[in-house]
Amino acid sequence: KMAASVCRVGGAVGRAFARARGPTLLSLRRSQATVTYAQSLLGAPETQLTTLDNGLRIASEETGHATCTVGVWIGVGSRYETEKNNGAGFFLEHLAFKGTKKHPQSALEQAVESMGAHLSAYTSREHTAYYMKALAKDLPKAVELLSEVVQSSALSEAEIEQQRGVILKELEEVEGSLQDVCLDLLHATAYQATPLAQSVLGPSQNARTLTRQDLVDYINSHYKAPRMVLAAAGGVNHEELVGLAKQHFSGVSFEYQDDAVPVLSPCRFTGSEVRMRDDAMPLAHIAIAVEGAGAANPDIVPLMVANSILGSYDITFGGGKHLSSTLARRAAELNLCHSYQAFHSTYSDTGLMGIYFVTGKHNIEDMMHWAQNAWMNLCTTVTDSDVARAKNALKASLVGQLNGTTLICDDIGRHVLNYGRRIPLAEWDARIDVRTSFQLPDYNRMRSAMYWLRF
Amino acid sequence: MATLAGCRGLLSPSLNPARLLLSRQARAAVTGAMSLGQAAASPGEKSQSAGILGVRLAHTDISIPDFSDYRRPDVQDPKKSAQDSSETRKVFSYLVTGSTAVVGVYTAKTVVTQFVSSMSASADVLALSKIEIKLSDIPEGKNMTFKWRGKPLFVRHRTDKEIAAEASVDLSELRDPQHDKDRVTNPSWVIVIGVCTHLGCVPIANAGEYGGYYCPCHGSHYDASGRIRKGPAPLNLEVPYYEFADDNTVIVG
Repeated sequence: KMAASVCRVGGAVGRAFARARGPTLLSLRRSQATVTYAQSLLGAPETQLTTLDNGLRIASEETGHATCTVGVWIGVGSRYETEKNNGAGFFLEHLAFKGTKKHPQSALEQAVESMGAHLSAYTSREHTAYYMKALAKDLPKAVELLSEVVQSSALSEAEIEQQRGVILKELEEVEGSLQDVCLDLLHATAYQATPLAQSVLGPSQNARTLTRQDLVDYINSHYKAPRMVLAAAGGVNHEELVGLAKQHFSGVSFEYQDDAVPVLSPCRFTGSEVRMRDDAMPLAHIAIAVEGAGAANPDIVPLMVANSILGSYDITFGGGKHLSSTLARRAAELNLCHSYQAFHSTYSDTGLMGIYFVTGKHNIEDMMHWAQNAWMNLCTTVTDSDVARAKNALKASLVGQLNGTTLICDDIGRHVLNYGRRIPLAEWDARIDVRTSFQLPDYNRMRSAMYWLRF
Repeated sequence: MATLAGCRGLLSPSLNPARLLLSRQARAAVTGAMSLGQAAASPGEKSQSAGILGVRLAHTDISIPDFSDYRRPDVQDPKKSAQDSSETRKVFSYLVTGSTAVVGVYTAKTVVTQFVSSMSASADVLALSKIEIKLSDIPEGKNMTFKWRGKPLFVRHRTDKEIAAEASVDLSELRDPQHDKDRVTNPSWVIVIGVCTHLGCVPIANAGEYGGYYCPCHGSHYDASGRIRKGPAPLNLEVPYYEFADDNTVIVG
């Protein structure tokens, strides 16, 4: 506010000067050009959403960049897999860029390369995405290639055999990424005996035994138009995109064989623990979580604010004792850990809210104690200034994450799959601001549960 | 080689963290033997556990055992959210814990009391605090003295004349006014402690001007009810607690 008023004063002075000395001299108009935060939120381009006849949704945001990211977000992931085909989605992702019926592998690579584009994919527990980053003018070609990748991937036997080895190698490499291993194990035990326990990678046995037919069945059961979103962000025109979608994606099926629509049943959360002990490892990677809110649950907003209060910490932070989060301060003062972060993974109807930390073997108990203490303090000693700070940090991170067409496109794709529409920043802002004082009475129980009953 | 670039985790933890975002990396031609097993050789082969090769399996091969034998009925079904039954389960657990705690505290208190009270007076010592008197041994008009709690105890079998006389005494005459019926349960028997309320001497029975007791030390006269009538004593003789076990027996104390 101060800055804005100073700018206004400066502008007025500038105008006065300009009138006095001539219009071309001393134009201080530029300093008035700053837009307030609220204005920038409301000024963000709207995400347009269209649905095709077969149920496929098309969403795009025209940001005016010279590049664009366009992709297909599919509502399928390891949660939809069974024990027998766990890892099929991941396998498919490996095979996606190994050629389609119209473009064999080299032709596909050539087509992408010659545009200077990047073709990527990811698979998570509930979403799968294939997307391309290209120049805005190459949108038609990009959509065409994506439609082929999604609808008519070659899935050659030779390639499948080759990819088995690649996947096993990747499984081996992932073991080195201890954060991923830890969080995978967290899901495996928290949601034990449910589909959410399954890792995206799948067990090594499945990497060896999945057949082409398994993959074809997987595609036929899950790659259906109502569960797909064609999302784009950048210098894209929504009408043009819809036209391209009609051209290339009208053929996507919307009917299930035997009307067997896969319905997600709730996943039971089990309070439990799993330890993978290896005394040869220098540090312990620990994640503790409680059942949180699902993506569409309005409670995620206070939970995100709560996580923002807890914050994160790394031993390389320069703040030391002067960090704003009390847990981070303690971690710095008492040397509790190398790093920690508060996280909240959301799925459609459930979530895991917790803290992940990395520490040496002598500090595990202390860190665990203080982490739980921080949770309990959320219920009792949170001050208004903590909440205000957390809200600002959260808003800043929400805005900062939309940095580039790819991240915006990912945001669009996931939102449409989770919520049926894109939730604009202005709405997030409004939801975060609704609570002027921190109300967590409903989640007291959630946290106190683990505090009181330690058996 | 094509530039098929991968893309690592896109978002920071506060919004959407632990999804595994895995990249597609272009790799050089993959050679045959992998440390996790010969993949190219025969994928249809029966599973050769990598444990035989002495190499650790992937973490995705770890399967959490089935704990349904230990689960409460409410959480047996993996397709039902555990939140629905969380209230009931918690209430049950807290109730059981709470009542066990109460019972435990009570047990502890009892045990401690038993041990501590074992140091207090034993039964034979406590028995000395009571005296059982056979009334048939005492003829009418006679006063018997017993040693009780270190003090003399007077048990007097009163005649009807004495009873009537004591009952009709005017209370305004008495230094320590008390009606006879307030001092006896059964008017035939007067039971008082034989300690003079003046300075503690033992009064003599059937002596004095009022047909009761006379204290020789300083000349206090008590009547047949043990009340002070004349002399320096301020109060009537003390009446202890006593019960008639039956017509023939009285227990004092």
